[in-house]
Amino acid sequence: MFELDMRSRKPIYEQLVDKMKELIMNELLKTDEQLPSVRQLATELSINPNTIQKAYRELETQGFIYSVKGKGSFVNPNQKAIDKEKIVEMKKELEKLILEALYLGIPAQELISLIQDLDASKGGA
Amino acid sequence: MIEFKNVTKKFDRYTAIENVNLTIQTGSIYGLIGSNGAGKTTIIKLLASIYRQDQGEVTIDGQPVFENVHLKEKLVFIPDHPYVFPQYTTRQMARFYRNCYPSWDEERFKNLAQAFEVDVNKKIQSFSKGWQRQIAFIMALAAKPDILILDEPMDGLDPVVRKKVKNLLIQDVAEREMTILVSSHNLREIEDICDHIGILHKGTLLIEKELDDLKSNVHKVQVAYKNGLPDRLLDKLKPLHAEKRGSVHLLIVRGEEAAIAKQIIETHPVIFDLLPLTLEEIFIYEMGDIGYAIKNVVV
Repeated sequence: MFELDMRSRKPIYEQLVDKMKELIMNELLKTDEQLPSVRQLATELSINPNTIQKAYRELETQGFIYSVKGKGSFVNPNQKAIDKEKIVEMKKELEKLILEALYLGIPAQELISLIQDLDASKGGA
Repeated sequence: MIEFKNVTKKFDRYTAIENVNLTIQTGSIYGLIGSNGAGKTTIIKLLASIYRQDQGEVTIDGQPVFENVHLKEKLVFIPDHPYVFPQYTTRQMARFYRNCYPSWDEERFKNLAQAFEVDVNKKIQSFSKGWQRQIAFIMALAAKPDILILDEPMDGLDPVVRKKVKNLLIQDVAEREMTILVSSHNLREIEDICDHIGILHKGTLLIEKELDDLKSNVHKVQVAYKNGLPDRLLDKLKPLHAEKRGSVHLLIVRGEEAAIAKQIIETHPVIFDLLPLTLEEIFIYEMGDIGYAIKNVVV
């Protein structure tokens, strides 16, 4: 299903959470679709099942998935948490880009007017 | 659940481990790491009931381990040098295991022997070190124990076999809730497979923690400033380790990621990177903190 980078410094469970979120956000895992079972994923990826359990619990508290006793974990139809996450991520990326632009010598005013123009054109469409 | 309560073990006047408290949950993979001679093997042998503790309690699900046949029937120990009877073939050794372990699965043994391509009619001692270890794994997995104890398990195995063994171990943990206690110096291996870590040094257990907590509690920070590192930053962060490489400062800091990042950003660095540590780095810096530092030996 996906590969994890065993050599990365990032903890495996964090990688798992991020990968799953990515799959859900890009709708490769659809609403109410069942996630692979802990057992299945553990064997497939050769990862400690406790780590996977932990990742699933984390995804559940963050609102990405829900679990049904005796059945498994499913993708949560409630998209609010997902949108929030997307916004945070986008802001981070924008910050980086804007900072770069400022270092390149683009005046802040120019950036602001660019945003205003874009916002205006979006309103027109 | 495996529990060590205030366990002390002495060999003559030498104290191998002292007041060790350790808990391993069922279905967990617990990694025991430590300096040379720290007492890892002593702990393992206490759990395997090869040694008897001088003080304290070693229990599995509340029952004392020593000479407890019912518990030992559910426990397999693969030592760092797997023992086989001289002149025994794999088939004969399997028969011996079958008599010791009521949970022995003959079908599984055959499948495993086939998967590892082992000739069961050949004498085990005529095999190479790596092969002998593979045979030890086949026996252990066919016995379907509740608890598997491994001392330097991957020693002498090639990468393909390592992967095979790791996957088989994980299957048993996932499907039967087998508990594994593993000791190794190969921290990469431990890092991949374990969920809990115990760090031993000179007979005492320094740290016992969930691996992810251990990792999220220590960070490597790289910072650079136009006008040098502000002094008050060091006072505030109290790094475990600090060094300078060119104009970049490398700090190892304990604490929460967000809090550290905030404190550093306030000082307006030109470069700022915050990375999680590998288990090897955690080990080295934690050990350095208690005076077991790396010294370059010149002879």
